[in-house]
Amino acid sequence: MINKSFYTLVYREVWRFLVLYKQTIMPGIITAALYMVIFGEALGSRIKLENNIDYIIFIIPGLTMMSVIGQSFANSSSSIMQAKYLKFIDDYLIAPVSGFELSMSFIIGAILRGVINGILIILTCALFTSFTIEHYFLSLFFLIVVSCAFGAIGVIVGIVSKTWDSVGVWGTFVFMPLSMLGGVFWSIDMLPESWAYIALMNPLYWMINGLRYSMLGISEISITFSIIISLLFAIIFTILASIMFSKGYKIKS
Amino acid sequence: MNSIIEINNLKKIYSNGNHALNGININIEKGKFFGLLGPNGAGKTTTIGILTGLVNLTSGKIKVNGLDIIKDYKKTRKMIGLSPQEINLDVFFTIRELLIFQGGYYGLSIKESKKRVDKILFDLGLEEKAYSKARELSGGMKRRVQIAKALIHDPEIIILDEPTAGVDIELRHLLWDSLREMNEKHDKTLLLTTHYIEEAENLCDEVAIIDDGKIIAQGSPKDLIANDGESLINITVDNWDSSLLPNFTSNFQDNIVTIKSKNSDKDTPYIINKITDANISINKLDIRKANLEDVFIKLTGKKLTDD
Repeated sequence: MINKSFYTLVYREVWRFLVLYKQTIMPGIITAALYMVIFGEALGSRIKLENNIDYIIFIIPGLTMMSVIGQSFANSSSSIMQAKYLKFIDDYLIAPVSGFELSMSFIIGAILRGVINGILIILTCALFTSFTIEHYFLSLFFLIVVSCAFGAIGVIVGIVSKTWDSVGVWGTFVFMPLSMLGGVFWSIDMLPESWAYIALMNPLYWMINGLRYSMLGISEISITFSIIISLLFAIIFTILASIMFSKGYKIKS
Repeated sequence: MNSIIEINNLKKIYSNGNHALNGININIEKGKFFGLLGPNGAGKTTTIGILTGLVNLTSGKIKVNGLDIIKDYKKTRKMIGLSPQEINLDVFFTIRELLIFQGGYYGLSIKESKKRVDKILFDLGLEEKAYSKARELSGGMKRRVQIAKALIHDPEIIILDEPTAGVDIELRHLLWDSLREMNEKHDKTLLLTTHYIEEAENLCDEVAIIDDGKIIAQGSPKDLIANDGESLINITVDNWDSSLLPNFTSNFQDNIVTIKSKNSDKDTPYIINKITDANISINKLDIRKANLEDVFIKLTGKKLTDD
């Protein structure tokens, strides 16, 4: 599968977000730093967790995952929307590459942006507090797999959306609420039983829990199930995005 | 016949029910400069869209160098360079960068691509704009970059969809010279869609006239004009004898006799001789040669262009 055409598509995707680092890398770090100051330092001292972990440390994996989800989704969806809007998506569609290669180039761009953001946020958070990462490879696994899932969702949304508004709707009305309700700032022990049950229905909760376990070594639910859910999301949406590109759904006449 | 593009019974029905192509057949020989001539909405862009992979076909077959464009799309697409009608330049990168990427999409290494880009930028007079972004270029410059994108991987077949639409006459003639050079010196097969009669007549060895998704005539411009075009020979005279040219259709009005001719080069000397032999003095002679527009009007009953 690795050929020069595919390599160029990936290279272009990565180069695009690196050139635009003020829009693609910096905001995530600044937002995470602000959350750390406000929720961690100002409010965190008043919140006691059952496992005796500092609240400021507890929220680091959630903040990281929230940014990774947002950045990876934004990378692929905005890249496709721009290509559609300026019509240079035709350059990709007539190139000698398969639908799978095309979708993977956008998804790999999204993974790299997500992972770079995630790592930089973890490093930024390390400036505010001291913590050690329990499982480095598992942390990297969650950053990659979740970026892949939301990069693929970004591809799908980029393909089906006709306007920038409809892309924005996903971020504002779907991913942000799901992230907030996915355990970024709270432990399931803090919730009433009925809400705890609803939280378990939220796939982002499992992903955030997975990263929290890999970084801090604490888990409220099954880590195996977190891995399975994250992988399933990544695989299903990657396949779907590839099929859409292969068929030319909404992008070919 | 050494066909490089074979289009057989190609049909396209869009999801809105529009029958864009109704079973067209075209064979283009290797090394030809082929024109697809027709009014807006005739099916030209749909045809090349299918050929390049931008449009899904409904039925029919297209082969490029004997390879099916669907089964062997990776191979056939490498043989084709497309310059689309609409400007579609990536605004994030400089012209040089976007051309390097374009080469990469077709399998060139970054190093190979850079070499090709520098040559093409020079050939098309774009070297001073190499580090500019698309939005900083004039319309004519953007059009040249579009053509550069089609050439970057040195394809055998170059497809140009209305390449001179909206460009000034000077640039149009410059582009014509470049296209002729590609065809004659570099042995490229060119497929050009246009609704400019002059363009098709000047550049193309062979033309297919398309209307309402059907090919209504195909051949060299000269043959098409000879078969279906009629030149008008206008002669200003003092008086006229309507029985003088029994083999021609003529009309006399305001001291001008208008004679229809299938071959004005051959007929004009004969007609002048007949008139002077009849002691009718000729005050003025004006010949309006038949062109592809006349052929189109004759075949369809409507004009090819509005402009």
